[in-house]
Formats: sequence, structure tokens, C-alpha cells
Amino acid sequence: MFSTIYIEEEVLESERVRNLLARFPQVPQVICDRYGEVFNRKSQNFRLQKMAPALILAKKYGNKVLAAPSGYGYNDSNSYYFSHMLNCVYDCRYCFLQGMYSSANYVLFVNYEDFEEAIVEKIAENNGGGVYYSGYDCDSLALEPVSDFCSHFLPVFRRYPDAELEIRTKSTQIRCLLDTEVVPNCVIAMSFTTNEAARQWEHKVPSIEKRLEALHKLQLAGWKVAIRFEPLVLGVEGLAPYEALFAKVFSKLDGQRLHSISTGLFRMPVDFHKRIVKLYPDEELFARPTEIKNGMIALKNAQESSHLVAIEKLLLSYVSHEQYYRCG
Amino acid sequence: MPVNIVVAHGLEAKALVKVLELERDLASTEFVEYSNSSRLRLLVSGVGKDAVAAAVTYLGEQQSSNDGEVRAWLNIGIAGHRDAPLGSAWLGNKITDQSSGVSAYPPQLIGGLEVGCVVTVDEPENSYPLNAAYEMEASAFYAEATKYSTAELVQVFKVISDNLENPISEIDIKSVPRLIAAQAPQFLMLIEKMSAIAQQYNSSQRLPSFYFESCSKIHLTVNQTLQLKRLCQRYKALGLEEELSSVANLKASDARQLLRQLAERIDGISEA
Repeated sequence: MFSTIYIEEEVLESERVRNLLARFPQVPQVICDRYGEVFNRKSQNFRLQKMAPALILAKKYGNKVLAAPSGYGYNDSNSYYFSHMLNCVYDCRYCFLQGMYSSANYVLFVNYEDFEEAIVEKIAENNGGGVYYSGYDCDSLALEPVSDFCSHFLPVFRRYPDAELEIRTKSTQIRCLLDTEVVPNCVIAMSFTTNEAARQWEHKVPSIEKRLEALHKLQLAGWKVAIRFEPLVLGVEGLAPYEALFAKVFSKLDGQRLHSISTGLFRMPVDFHKRIVKLYPDEELFARPTEIKNGMIALKNAQESSHLVAIEKLLLSYVSHEQYYRCG
Repeated sequence: MPVNIVVAHGLEAKALVKVLELERDLASTEFVEYSNSSRLRLLVSGVGKDAVAAAVTYLGEQQSSNDGEVRAWLNIGIAGHRDAPLGSAWLGNKITDQSSGVSAYPPQLIGGLEVGCVVTVDEPENSYPLNAAYEMEASAFYAEATKYSTAELVQVFKVISDNLENPISEIDIKSVPRLIAAQAPQFLMLIEKMSAIAQQYNSSQRLPSFYFESCSKIHLTVNQTLQLKRLCQRYKALGLEEELSSVANLKASDARQLLRQLAERIDGISEA
């Protein structure tokens, strides 16, 4: 599962780390002072490291709960994100993380109690409310059997019913949720692209069918479930792939009971895109014409595309206007 | 095999030359150098950090004009450990420079080998205080080689030649080639895998021949060269490499015309 486990000396004796290491006795362990010695160094190559990623166990210092980028969320409440982990076990070619870090290793910050303290402080600042996103710099559930993220953070949010937690994921690791009493202010938001896009660009990601099955089980169990149709990559194939995707999704899930549904076009900061193009000059997605607006790069004319309007119209035949928002 | 091997001592080279079927490159004057028809290069640097850094720089600069091709770099050599058996060996997953205290962590893409720590010392170490292979080149080798290649393709492989029971002062120097040769299956596998990764990487970065032809026939500024490179990459990524020469007529084109013709065509296709 991991080529190596690097451990910051400072967390070596923590119970969480000792328990985790005991589960991977066969994986070589290397002690380091700070995770920055191993992670995101110059001369590292994200694409190559994806061949055999390592796990880095570290302590997070500094700000742990940050303001969410504008346009990220689904309502006007103050929105924040926190990242107990950096990088993702999946390998989606459109993902901005490839341009954000030069390393594909997974950093797991194990000082959950410090994150909890920062979240509780932020909730207090927001009079008990606010929206908190997990899964911005990682996939929160994909490494759940290793991280035990849910078992720590769900009880935190259960104590603050007016604060909302969104767990953004493509993972089917839902055992931790099904084994827990529903947390009414927690939303499990699953990302989907069309079948064609998934086949072409989403590597190591569970199939659409498996993800839908997982969401179906969660919905039946009473969890709030949301759908993120992101990123939309509009191409010559027209509307047909979206018709197929929406038909599949809404035949499996109860559309009226979905917490929210969003779409978001493929886009990322220009600098990230430049780095990704260097990693994948042979990738068809990055060979398409692009345009830059406000430091963000997107496929040319996507925003104005009649396809986008048609996709939204189609989507709104399944869900209400109140449930839907366009991200960004 | 786009792999460079650097060893400190001629005796370390001896076993490798035989196993890898290398031949002495007599044209090389600064270092004893070997190579083979598979593009494997081996350099004998001399002992110590300065010597190995100089050897890596020498080879890296020589190869820096190879059209951006990335090569893997491997340092193979003997080392001491307090209690590891003579002849045991491992790939370094942490290299600590004893004098500075700085550690480097070669990314571990290649499985199936023993791994362990390496400590680079300025003088031979007799007491081996840490559970690590003690030697005299790895930290400088890694620091220098990562200037010419990506860290994933820079590795050190150490074979234990001395320990507390068999101190360095009693090493039978003639046994070195035998100790290294005994690790042939391991280092052959390592070289093969590093080579495969480098080749895969280089293949993804390969530019169409049209790019080189254009550069040789048309005067391009640095910025125009970068634009041309990216356009050629885009044609390749879209499976249109064959169209490059028909889209732009190199005889009639100047740089601006060439870039405009290429851009118009590919943007038109992509937006269609």
C-alpha cells in the first residue's frame, strides 16, 4: 500500500502513530525531523512518485482551519476547509494537486486533537455555525482504514449541530459511516464525471456504479448525501454522456432527498497548470485550447458553451433549483 | 539504458565492468570511464565527497545537451556497519551527511530490495554508532546528481565490507569485487528498473522530430522556441504528430508564420 512510511520524530511515540505503524510491519519505516525534508522538495517528480507513493506521518503546525476559496461552497455561510491529509490515493489527471505539490506522497497529520481545537474555535467565532469542508487537499474517506478520520471528527461535529461538515470524496470506504449513528449536520459529497471522462482521466478511482452503490447505502441509512458533477470537461461528444450519467445517478439515488447538487468546470490556477503540463506534456486534456481569467486557466469558451447550459437544464429536470448550484 | 553509475574505487568498478559487460572508454581523460552499447556509463570518481561531486558534475555537464533526456544515477560502493554481515547490501532510503547533519531521502519507487540508512563520513568510521551503512560519498553524490536528474532516479546501493568483527583496517581489499559481484542479481534488477522508469519518463517527454527540424532551419527566439515546443507537444498529445510537417511549410515560413500556422490549425481542430 505504501512504498515507505516516513515518521516525524516528534510524533513517533504518539498512540495514533504506534497503532498505525503496527498495522504495516512489512513497510520500511524511516524517521525524519520534519515532513518538509521528504515532501515537496525541489527535484521531485509528482508523476514518478505516483508509481509508488509513501506515507508521511507528521504534526501540523500553523493554521489548521482556513477560509474556503470563494465560490467553493453551496451556501452563503462562512466556509472553511481543513486538511488532515495532503494528497490523494487516486490519480485523476485533471486534479490540481498534481500542480500544487512536487511530491505525490501522502502526508497524514496525526495531531487530530489540534485540528479539533481549531475547528471548535472557528465554530465559536461563527456562533456555533459555519460550513467546514474536508477533502480539499485529499480524499477524506479513501484512506479511512488507515487514518480513522471519521471516528475522530464526526463526534466533534455531532456536538455542534449548527456547524456543517462536508466530506468530499470519491471513495467507497463508507463502513465507518454505516457503523455510526447518522450525524445530521454532516454531508457526504461524492464527485462524478461522465463514464468517458472517468475512464480516460480517473485512475484507481472506484467505478461510477460502485460509488453510486455506496451513496445509495448511505442515503438509505439516513445520511445526507450530495453530488458534485466536477470537473465538467466539455468536448465534442455533446450532451449524450451527461444524459447517460444523470440517468444512472438518479435511477439509483432519490434526487429529491439529495442535500445538494453542483457542477463545476475544469479550471485551476495558472501556475498549477503550467507545472502539470510539464509533468504530462503528452496528455490530451492539456493540449486543448485554454483561456485565462483572474489567474485561473480553463478550457476555452467552456463558460459560454451551449453545452453547459444544456447540461444544467438536463440536471434541473431531475432536481430542484434550490438543490443546485454552480461551483466557481 | 539511460543509467550512470558512479563508484569511488577501481575495485568496486571491477565486478560491475564484468557483470555489465562494460568497456573502458579510453577517450576519457579526467576519470576512468566505462560504457556499453546499451548506453550504460560507469565512472570511477575517487574516494570522498569532493571526488564524487566532481565526477557527477563532469558526467552531468557532458550529458546536459542530450535534448533534455533524463538519466538515472546510481552510486554503488562498499560501506561499513556495526553488525551487518559482510556482503549484505541495501538501497539507501535515508542519507545523512555526518559533518553537516543534513539528511536526504531518496524516493523509493523500486521495491524488492533491502533498504536502510546510509551515513556519509569525512574520515573512515570504526565504531559505527548508528544502525546505518557508513561510507564516504553518498551524500555528495545525491546532492550533486539531483541537479541533473529527478530525485526518484538518484539512488545509492551499499554493500557491507566491514563491521566491528571485521574492522576496516583488516579489510582484504581484493575481496571487494567478490562482495559486489555477489550482489549482481540485486543491482542488475535495480539498474533495469531505474532504466525502465527513465525510459518511460523520457518517452512521455519526447518531442516530435519536426521540432528539431524547425529549430535547425528557422531562427527562433527563446520565447518562440518554447512556444514551438508546446505546440509540438500539443500535436503529439492529440495524436496529430504526423500532421505537423503538412501544416507548416518550413521553407516558406519565418518563426512568427510558423507559430501562427501551427496554432491556428490545432486550436481549430481542438475547438471543433
